[in-house]
Amino acid sequence: MKTHLKIGIGKLELKNPLMTASGTSGYGDELGNYFDVAALGAVVSKSLTLKPKIGNEPPRVTEVACGMLNSIGLANIGVERFISEKLPKLRKSGATIIANIAAKRAEDYLSLAEMLSDEEDVQGLEINLSCPNVKEGGIEFGSDPKMLGTITRLVRNVFPKTLLVKLTPNVTRISELARAAEGEGADAVTVANTYVGMAIDIYKRAPKIHTVTGGLSGPAIKPLTMAKVYEVTKSVDIPIVASGGIFTWQDVIEYLIAGASAVELGTVLFAKPNVPEELLSGIESYVSSSKLEHISDLIGSLNTGVEKVSAH
Amino acid sequence: MPTNQFLEYASVIKTLEVAPHTFLTEFSSPKISAAVKPGQFVMLSFPGSLDPLLPRAFSVCEVKGDGVVLFYVAVGKGTRLLSKLRNGEEVILNGPLGRGFPELARGEKVWLAVGGSGAAVLPIVITSAIDSGAFPEAFYGARTMKQLMHFDNIQIEFATDDGSAGFHGTVVELLKLKMKKDRPDKIFACGPSPMLASVQREFGEKVRTYISVETPMACGMGLCQGCPVRKKDGTGYYLACKDGPVFDTNEIEVATGAI
Repeated sequence: MKTHLKIGIGKLELKNPLMTASGTSGYGDELGNYFDVAALGAVVSKSLTLKPKIGNEPPRVTEVACGMLNSIGLANIGVERFISEKLPKLRKSGATIIANIAAKRAEDYLSLAEMLSDEEDVQGLEINLSCPNVKEGGIEFGSDPKMLGTITRLVRNVFPKTLLVKLTPNVTRISELARAAEGEGADAVTVANTYVGMAIDIYKRAPKIHTVTGGLSGPAIKPLTMAKVYEVTKSVDIPIVASGGIFTWQDVIEYLIAGASAVELGTVLFAKPNVPEELLSGIESYVSSSKLEHISDLIGSLNTGVEKVSAH
Repeated sequence: MPTNQFLEYASVIKTLEVAPHTFLTEFSSPKISAAVKPGQFVMLSFPGSLDPLLPRAFSVCEVKGDGVVLFYVAVGKGTRLLSKLRNGEEVILNGPLGRGFPELARGEKVWLAVGGSGAAVLPIVITSAIDSGAFPEAFYGARTMKQLMHFDNIQIEFATDDGSAGFHGTVVELLKLKMKKDRPDKIFACGPSPMLASVQREFGEKVRTYISVETPMACGMGLCQGCPVRKKDGTGYYLACKDGPVFDTNEIEVATGAI
């Protein structure tokens, strides 16, 4: 194992900074057809809900320039089947497993965290807060620092292992969300979920996905998320996991320089399911040719030159 | 993990324009060509391209030695780009993916109905049916003669909406007519959703009928959950990429294309 690529996130020591993004790698089993998932820093599961969800009506996906829009509706087999059917397979694969959870009620987050806390193979949790809070008039949990803080605290109290909170970028100040997560004991924040986007079929004068708007991902969003990562680095001390439009190893390095400790791969897996192998070798060559002792030397190493600019 | 799915850099051997905007491209793809079954598909992407970004799904049309042939109508950005690749240029192929048509037994009589890009499955289905000792018959419908194409050594009965070639009417009407005198053991169909819906309605309860559906798809592997196909029993969705793209008509509700 390459010790100079190891990264610490909370209580977890990742083999390297590459993780999968929730919802783009199923439950890890399909990817095993293309590469050894144990070689990843971690596999993050699809968002798990208490009850299985069938998901949204089609069409659920459409391609836009350098990106894709999706509205899957958290289709998943539910936490119980994940534990009974998918976890044993993932354990066999040797992958480091982070379970992603989503709910529409605070108490459901608590139940999910309790159930997964008991599972030895689940080494971390990532909280997805993109659902509307049914009790608060349907406002997204994740868009309000107070609600985000409440859920983080509830989960933190019952889940002693590594806890990540995935932030939405669809807010004015993402750093306020990051601070709320850090304040309630999150070990790391994932920056960020997808951006609300929309595309129209001009001949049918109809939206290209059934729910009208969906989440924009892919290279189109990388500069946007880069700026969010940079903003968050200045407001919290916990590690940042960057997620947004990574397609090449250079993208990974760029996020680390901006301040991320690790990254999540999403849309790229659809085009090239074995891409982690290629990214890892690119990252390794960069680290060794840059004469760095450890990959963590890159984290937040951005040279803005701000100090040199005279203040007026 | 045991696998028969491969990611291959496949170079173009040749491309032929066989009808207006309609192409056959042959790729060198030793692993996929050896593993593919009729009705299975590949996801094709352009190395290093960010626009088009996502891979495109293509049913495999034919296996030629170490190569696979894809059939497509160049209507979008991806297919136009594909049709312009020079010999020797590479794409990434991921496959074979999905569940194809059921295997046929010796002596079984199967009718294959195709329309539009669905004609892609015609050579591989017919060739493999003959290899297994089954008796296949092929029916191919289009709006007009100009859109039809012939495949080497395969006998096809054509149907055109305007009567410019073969039967005057749709391929489903042609099959209905044939059914008055004869009956196959199985019907296979591949084509646009309205055609599949009509196949399901006319034959689904009389003959074991299998249809290959086409839906938007981002990954082709079950990762994205982006290609749901409504289950007939109303309990949710199958995924076209993993559970299909071929379904028994009794399993699914065919979307008719309306959003």
